[in-house]
Amino acid sequence: MPDWKAAIRERLRGLDLDGGREAEIVEELAQHLGDRYAEMIAAGASEDRALRSVLDELEGSYPLAEGLRSAGEAAAREPRSLGASGSEGILGGLGHDLRVASRVIRVNPAFSLAVVLMLALGVAGTTAIFSVFDGLFLRPLPFPDPGRLVDLNEAAPKWNLTQVSVSNPDFTAWRNGNASFDSMAFFSGGGANLSDSSGVARRIKTAEVTHDLLGMLGLKPVLGRDFLPEEDRPGGAKVVLLGYDLWRSLFHGERNVAGRIVKLDEQPYTVIGVLPREAVLPPDAEAWRPLAADPNQGGSYYLDGIGRLKRGVSLAQAKADLTRVHKGMIQGAKAYVNEFTFPTVIPLRDRYLGDFRTVTNILLGAVGVVLLIACVNIAGLTMVRGEARSREIAIRAAVGASRARIVRQLLTESLVLAGLGGALGVLLGKACLAAMVSSIPDDVPQWVSFAWDWRFALFSIVVTGAAAMLFGLAPALQAAAADAGSCLQETSRSSPSRARHRVLSGLVVFEIALASMLLVCSGLLFQAFRKVLNVDPGFRPDHVMTWRLDLPAAKYPKAEQQLGAYRDLVARLRALPGVSAVSAASLVPLNGHVGNFFVAEGARPLGRNEQNPVVLTTTALAGYFETMGMTLLKGRWITEQDQEAHAPQVVVVNESFAKRFWPGQDPVGKRIRFDGEKTPWMQVAGLARDTKHYGLDTEMKPGVFLPFTTQPQPALTMVLRSPGDVERLVGPVRETIRQMDPDLPMFEIRTMTERLDRSLWTRRASSWLFGAFAAVAILLAVAGIYGVVSFAVSRRTREIGIRIALGARPGDVVAQVLGSGMALVAIGTTVGLAASVAIANVLKSMLFGVSARDLATYAAVAALVALVGALANSVPARRAAAIDPIRALRTE
Amino acid sequence: MPHDAVDRDLKKGSGELLILSLLEARPRHGYEISKLIETRSEGAVSFRVASLYPLLYRLEARGLIQGRWVEKAGQRRRRYYRVTAAGKKVLAARRAGWQAFVEAIQRITEKEYA
Repeated sequence: MPDWKAAIRERLRGLDLDGGREAEIVEELAQHLGDRYAEMIAAGASEDRALRSVLDELEGSYPLAEGLRSAGEAAAREPRSLGASGSEGILGGLGHDLRVASRVIRVNPAFSLAVVLMLALGVAGTTAIFSVFDGLFLRPLPFPDPGRLVDLNEAAPKWNLTQVSVSNPDFTAWRNGNASFDSMAFFSGGGANLSDSSGVARRIKTAEVTHDLLGMLGLKPVLGRDFLPEEDRPGGAKVVLLGYDLWRSLFHGERNVAGRIVKLDEQPYTVIGVLPREAVLPPDAEAWRPLAADPNQGGSYYLDGIGRLKRGVSLAQAKADLTRVHKGMIQGAKAYVNEFTFPTVIPLRDRYLGDFRTVTNILLGAVGVVLLIACVNIAGLTMVRGEARSREIAIRAAVGASRARIVRQLLTESLVLAGLGGALGVLLGKACLAAMVSSIPDDVPQWVSFAWDWRFALFSIVVTGAAAMLFGLAPALQAAAADAGSCLQETSRSSPSRARHRVLSGLVVFEIALASMLLVCSGLLFQAFRKVLNVDPGFRPDHVMTWRLDLPAAKYPKAEQQLGAYRDLVARLRALPGVSAVSAASLVPLNGHVGNFFVAEGARPLGRNEQNPVVLTTTALAGYFETMGMTLLKGRWITEQDQEAHAPQVVVVNESFAKRFWPGQDPVGKRIRFDGEKTPWMQVAGLARDTKHYGLDTEMKPGVFLPFTTQPQPALTMVLRSPGDVERLVGPVRETIRQMDPDLPMFEIRTMTERLDRSLWTRRASSWLFGAFAAVAILLAVAGIYGVVSFAVSRRTREIGIRIALGARPGDVVAQVLGSGMALVAIGTTVGLAASVAIANVLKSMLFGVSARDLATYAAVAALVALVGALANSVPARRAAAIDPIRALRTE
Repeated sequence: MPHDAVDRDLKKGSGELLILSLLEARPRHGYEISKLIETRSEGAVSFRVASLYPLLYRLEARGLIQGRWVEKAGQRRRRYYRVTAAGKKVLAARRAGWQAFVEAIQRITEKEYA
């Protein structure tokens, strides 16, 4: 008899079994081999053949040691079944899983398509919005160490002004006296008429900056040199740093530009260098000139400031430090120091993007809700699928598939679906983002860029994919559990487990509630938008073209020359065919703000804590009001005679002004004058209806209109009205201006309709985006209802069949199915509307007086949800009614 | 149902079902189990030592069967395996699954000949 034990021990080597265990195994196996050997010999086999055959039992494709090793590890783990050879790699299993997954997906195209589409919608919408948010708020500024850069400004809380800008003496004192900044620089935005040797005039945006701005931002010129301190003093050399783009367009990227001369407002400036691309602050500036401010020249607040905080200094510390310096100046009792102003220090990004924050935050909330709905829906769908597959899974478990194996298979399926949905979502989302970016107004600073955010795309794919897995796995795992027999029996009885059906119903209620909420919010925003659109702007915006002109002081030094030029131009333009009226004003509606304080004769006394209001001050040429289509309530407009040099001083006030100073009285004939200085009184000649100067949804301030001679302005916005297509007149207008002065460019060419549109951009965009989100949400919710009710019907086929066989009429069946589905819709809508009442308050700032509890909106949403809910339910209900009882019974 | 997945699981899992079924009536030792499988299947199914014993040990480690050395008069001591309560439960489940599977296969094959 061969030594079986030795043969076995040899094969157990390396397994590190403990002595006792090994001896037992050896003994047991040796007996087996001995028995087998004896049996073969008894049957007549040769010793040699019997030996080979028996030893073969230890080898084969599953070597003994491999089998025993895994058996040793198996106690706590899932078993590796027989036949799983240790040599099969993870990748081999994955390939198999993928093949199976793709087959499962192809076998159920409707389900797979639904999941993929839902994933794609969720991923696309959320990532596109998030990318915008990211571009605006999360991406760093294009400067080194941007976290330490802050915006410096002054506020005058007593006048209710949050940004009054900084004056020369203040910035000088701050810069010299502070202990918390590495450096600070100041600038003022401006413009200049640029004329080159070819005689073509164009308008460029300039910035007048302190010499240290570029260095403070942490940048260097790409060509030439930075400003010198001595160039930044009153009377310093006329030098200019060209912006990168201007350099490219003007000198075609030629590197040898230092020392070249350009004419700005008819004055020669020496080019000393070219700014880097990153020099995007001050916004839009195409060229920088030295500020050359006189530190003793007070009174005028016109500068923006940027500071670089010392390391470790907080905003609050910096503010306290500046306030100390600022208040120290009052004790110095210098006449120009204004004790009403305070320094403000805020993060640089907040200053330039603050306006968009509310809108983006609200949209981000909507994005979250849509993502949540997509998750809930996918969860519901996969749960239904998991339930439907529990029989298959039970069988696989019964014939030996381990639980880990089944879970891995299902995970692979989910991953494949998530991958497909994610990929489609990325494509869709990129298209969405491109569409959104193209509609973003150009008053967003240049340094903001909107790039597709891969991190968030991945995040949303993972979130939705995880929802699919979690909810797909739960029923599958139950099916794969040890008690598989009862699971099989249960499924064969065709009644979905109550608990699971309750979870599904809960999901549907939840997503209907969320969708109703979004619908209410979107409805309210649209109501508000419509209300804003219906606001009377106080002027007639259609058929009006506007553009700005800036008469350079070098050529038009005196007010009479400026007025003469504008009168000349108005006369020439009026002669153009198709022009019905032309005039000009320092500001047109939606064109910015210039304010002054006024004293009104016989005005009502100020209340306690009441401040003299800031009054919008506009210089208007004769004919401006008529051209703009404004309404005269009393008295008369400003006329040509009022513009004569020694004409009596007159003024036109608006309704808000009259109400504020002389409530209930006729303002015509009363007198006002500028506050503070001993200026002459001006008599009110007319009362104008308020215009919506700051936007249709913004309250109007008191305003006055002054004749050109009272307050001359070299830069005016010209206004031209035509009964026809006003935009076709731009060419003839440009030619007329060129004939008068070839060095005078027209800029900011816009129709009034365009100005109105732009002012409504954020409101329009947020309304539409919100609407789109609500539409997606309700679509998803409808798909959810449809899925769950169809599922319930299909599981109850037998029951319904029996009822029909027993005489139930199709109408009864429809009513019953419809009723159970509509109950979910009703509960979801109720919950959603109730939640909306709370949520809508967040939108208050955007609702423009539309009540957050606007009944019509709530009623419309309830009706809409009920309608689409009924549609979604009617399909499975009709299917139920059409069930053939004979077939239904045979499905068992 | 994805067929090749089941096919593969079937190969892997059938041994478990066979062993539990054979031990349901009474305890048996390894050689007896292998002989019974071979004879009852008329030689269609057989297990080598290298597959049978790892499977037995694994079922034992999972608490589905229990092995015990038994000495009978005049014989060498042998290791006998019996089904535990947990093993009986799993056997019932596996058996139901198997029947469902076989029925499914039959339905398919019947259709083929219809």
